[in-house]
Amino acid sequence: MPLNTQTGYFSDNYLLRLDRVTHFFDQRLVFKDVSLLIEPRTVTLVAGPNGAGKTTLMNIMSGLISPSKGLVEHKVPRDKMAFLGHNTFVYSGLSALDNLKFWAKVYYRRLDDDECMQLLSLVGLKAFAHEKAGFFSRGMSQRLSLARVLMLRPDFLLLDEPGTGLDPDSRKLLREKITQSAQGGAAVVWVSHTLEEDLDLADKIIFLENKKQAFYGTTRDFSSRHQGKGFEH
Amino acid sequence: MTSKDLKLIFSDGSGIIQPILLGLILVFVFSLSTPIGEEVSAQAAASIFWLATSFALILVFNTLYSIEETNQARTGLLLSPMPLQHVWISKAFTGLILLLLAQLFFFPAIIVFLGQENVADWWALLGVILLVDWGLVAVGSLLGAVSQGHASRDSLLSVVIFPLLIPLLLAGIRMGAHLLGGADDESLSSWAGIAFSFGAVFTGAAIILFPFVYNEY
Repeated sequence: MPLNTQTGYFSDNYLLRLDRVTHFFDQRLVFKDVSLLIEPRTVTLVAGPNGAGKTTLMNIMSGLISPSKGLVEHKVPRDKMAFLGHNTFVYSGLSALDNLKFWAKVYYRRLDDDECMQLLSLVGLKAFAHEKAGFFSRGMSQRLSLARVLMLRPDFLLLDEPGTGLDPDSRKLLREKITQSAQGGAAVVWVSHTLEEDLDLADKIIFLENKKQAFYGTTRDFSSRHQGKGFEH
Repeated sequence: MTSKDLKLIFSDGSGIIQPILLGLILVFVFSLSTPIGEEVSAQAAASIFWLATSFALILVFNTLYSIEETNQARTGLLLSPMPLQHVWISKAFTGLILLLLAQLFFFPAIIVFLGQENVADWWALLGVILLVDWGLVAVGSLLGAVSQGHASRDSLLSVVIFPLLIPLLLAGIRMGAHLLGGADDESLSSWAGIAFSFGAVFTGAAIILFPFVYNEY
């Protein structure tokens, strides 16, 4: 059974394990000795001030980049992992429906038009299914991106500040669908800049500060440690 | 991916109109270099045809790979379970379709503006065009990926691609000159062999190297 060396936390039921991960950009240290375990049915918040390395950590967790040092162990296949970030992966010259059908093919999912329409309906875009995504607002593009993620039915969901620039309704929809994904058994890792708002959704939190893992544990422990102090992020 | 790329290219049109226009202007300008009534040699005509094709190649692959940069769809492809070689193959195939489309305009222009009417064998000419185009798109699809993602690399494609293409273009020019009614060339099969080897080598290299090139993040 693997041991998370930073926290002394034992588990064999995990989808992703990072052990003493250190990353440099050229010679500049981004963070060092980050260790964590991501388990199914959990929501983990990644927090910290600007430049703490949250997005870099997400890129390492997703497998986009390899860390300079340390171990990254993935147990989840690529077709069961989804990513939702500032970038929507939306092709602006294609309709919402065509965008969804394209990503379904890339992930080897067989989806007919009716199923695609159902997904678009879930995110409130059914009426815009045949409109070019280039005419969509930021919020609509992000909703389309959310439909792509829901279509994948992921076991492991990475969210890099997906709520940025969204109106309250879209943010609410996003939180609702993410909660449903976690309840459905997915592990969710979520970069958050609105800790007070998102903390109640999460089970665990990793806080990056001063180029290191300042905190990793349950949100309850984190809240009690920071009670009355407020969060700097 | 090919149907998606073609849909995007034809929906705004600029991705194919620019290379066609550039090639046609090139053919037209070269036609002005000879006195009225005088015929351009078959070798010069073949050179102009492949030069126009090379410029079209650069524009086509810059456009094809820039599609994935909008909203960082490339990241989505990198995270997907799809082998990255599929991206290379799809882009190469789309590039081939667009290049052939551009050549559909270049060839009549060569006949009209450069007076090349004595085509020896149309089927052989089509074979030569396809053979040389295979090598062109194999290199174009590999290097097109290198030039994307960084503004400083925008000019890289044209800088790197032309020296690499020299043997293939020479083969295309010699075979083209022969088929446009130029002098008999006994070494024609050797040039065809060079073009075939070029295509095969770069196809093999691209299949191995493409994931490393495209995965740079």
